[in-house]
Amino acid sequence: MAVKRQLSMVLDLNKCIGCQTCTAACKLMWTNRNGREYMYWNNVETQPGLGYPRDYQNMGGGFDEEGALRLSRQPSQEDYGIPWEYNYSEALMTGTDPWLRPNVKPTWGANWDEDEGEGDYPNSYYFYLPRLCNHCANPGCLAACSRNAIYKRQEDGIVLVDQERCRGYRYCVNACPYKKVYFNEQISKSEKCIFCYPRIEKGLPTACAQQCVGRIRWIGYRDDEDGPIHKLVDKHQVALPLHPEWGTEPNVFYIPPMSPPKFGENGEQLDESRIPLDYLESLFGPRVGEVLDTLAAERQAKADGQDSELMDTLIGFKHAEMFKLS
Amino acid sequence: MKLPLKNRSLKQSASPSTKSSKGTSTKRHHHPLRPAALAGLALVVAAGGAADADQDAGNPNVTAVEPGDTVAVTRMPDNIYLRSQNDPDDLIWDRVPTYRTTLLPAPPVHRSVKLRFADEIEAGKPLYFQVARTDERFYIRLRWKDASEDRATTVDDFRDGVAVQYAINGVDTSYMMGSGPDNPVNIWYWRSDREAVENLAAGGYGSTTRLPEQNIAGDSAYVPDEYSDDGEWHVVMSRPIEAGDSEHAANLERNPVPMGFALWQGNDNQRDGDKRVTHTWIRLDAAGSDGETAADG
Repeated sequence: MAVKRQLSMVLDLNKCIGCQTCTAACKLMWTNRNGREYMYWNNVETQPGLGYPRDYQNMGGGFDEEGALRLSRQPSQEDYGIPWEYNYSEALMTGTDPWLRPNVKPTWGANWDEDEGEGDYPNSYYFYLPRLCNHCANPGCLAACSRNAIYKRQEDGIVLVDQERCRGYRYCVNACPYKKVYFNEQISKSEKCIFCYPRIEKGLPTACAQQCVGRIRWIGYRDDEDGPIHKLVDKHQVALPLHPEWGTEPNVFYIPPMSPPKFGENGEQLDESRIPLDYLESLFGPRVGEVLDTLAAERQAKADGQDSELMDTLIGFKHAEMFKLS
Repeated sequence: MKLPLKNRSLKQSASPSTKSSKGTSTKRHHHPLRPAALAGLALVVAAGGAADADQDAGNPNVTAVEPGDTVAVTRMPDNIYLRSQNDPDDLIWDRVPTYRTTLLPAPPVHRSVKLRFADEIEAGKPLYFQVARTDERFYIRLRWKDASEDRATTVDDFRDGVAVQYAINGVDTSYMMGSGPDNPVNIWYWRSDREAVENLAAGGYGSTTRLPEQNIAGDSAYVPDEYSDDGEWHVVMSRPIEAGDSEHAANLERNPVPMGFALWQGNDNQRDGDKRVTHTWIRLDAAGSDGETAADG
């Protein structure tokens, strides 16, 4: 879907420390009330892991090779995790309950399998994957909506749900393979990440990017050749979409995580990265190896005292250079 | 409400015979029954004669209606007392002719509906309806079998629902949600989760819009079946005959009012165009003067 300009985000997974500050920023700003309590428009998952909603990567959705919508399993409330509260008042203040306990039995949540990862010591591995709506160029949610309630803004490509038109059919929830559209039971309508458009319109970055302590996020217009997005995605080509095979053409891109070498049986370092390349390729497509080589070479160049525009960009010295919103 | 005891007792005495003769013969009555005819029919039924095998056993006053047929609106006395305005099981409904029509899967028009259409192969489903009016108010009552009462709208639960649509203009309006902005339809959509009726308009599929005037009232009862796990929804919707000056409110004092139905089974994840509908229009004679009269026998 062609738009005049496309706002995009790049996230460097090498810098993400999994602190969930982005998650909290988003939740406090948009989803801690009014039927959105279970929603995480932004969440940080440990990969390998089942993610949020649980096992979303195997639910389906997106497009097939012919470009037709693929049917998905409809996620249940248990797949998202039922939000729980604690009886702080009874347990800690009035003493009427001897136990501090959640009001529902927790069985899943947005960060349930944190830091579990895969592999056996000393070759265990994991990394953090922050996820938000990809504001796709070919949004599955938009294609699935029979109401034309979902639209992509011409001026910046942000994908939004028109709350006046939405009648809560949940085709969009089903069609988004990233499961980043959520159904609000309180209002019987679907809601999703709005890329903080009220902030964007004031020249401010999204809350998740502004608050990121690891400074892993860049925001800008794809066509701004002096901006960080164009440099990372198009010039140096080190930022890749998550699951490009799902056919939605995401506009959120990830710098894949580098990892130390794997250990052999006798403790020797093998010529193989700890995070298996084929696993990363299953997430970010076939170019991962090439990108990791570029990152290693540029990192070495910088260490050797040479200039590296790529490394200077990735370091993120100034917010003003990381967020180019005009 | 004043209900003549004579007819009540007739109906009650007729019921057991009707049940016992279930499946033995089929007879369809193609005209709404006047009270005199009702008495005559009750006698026939009591004698073990005519009872429609697949019709509502307790009510011999059921007429099969095909799309294109005309049905009359029954006149209710203006001084009638209803327990509540839209009581889905008020006794007055025993005195209003019941029609039966068959709803069939709606032709899918959007890719999201087509994707799910393969699952929707079950054939037609009978819907029973009754239409009545007083001087001031128009009522429609709908009944259908549904083994499950689905009143929840959650992330993965879909609710039961039923809708009546009226063409604002003539019968050449498309029964598939109207024919553009110049030939729209007015839709009354009852949703089980909120026990509310939405007043909607559409001018072609995908254009359904909630109207500013929400003046349709309604109520429902789900009647579970003790023996066969075959419960039934009873829904009444009503609106003042005079609906103000809204251009999207159906005129309910004409002949014919093109009328159609839609039914969603929450248990089958039905929503939107994934539904069963009346194909083409049933013509409602709502002019009023010649309507059948209830409760005057």
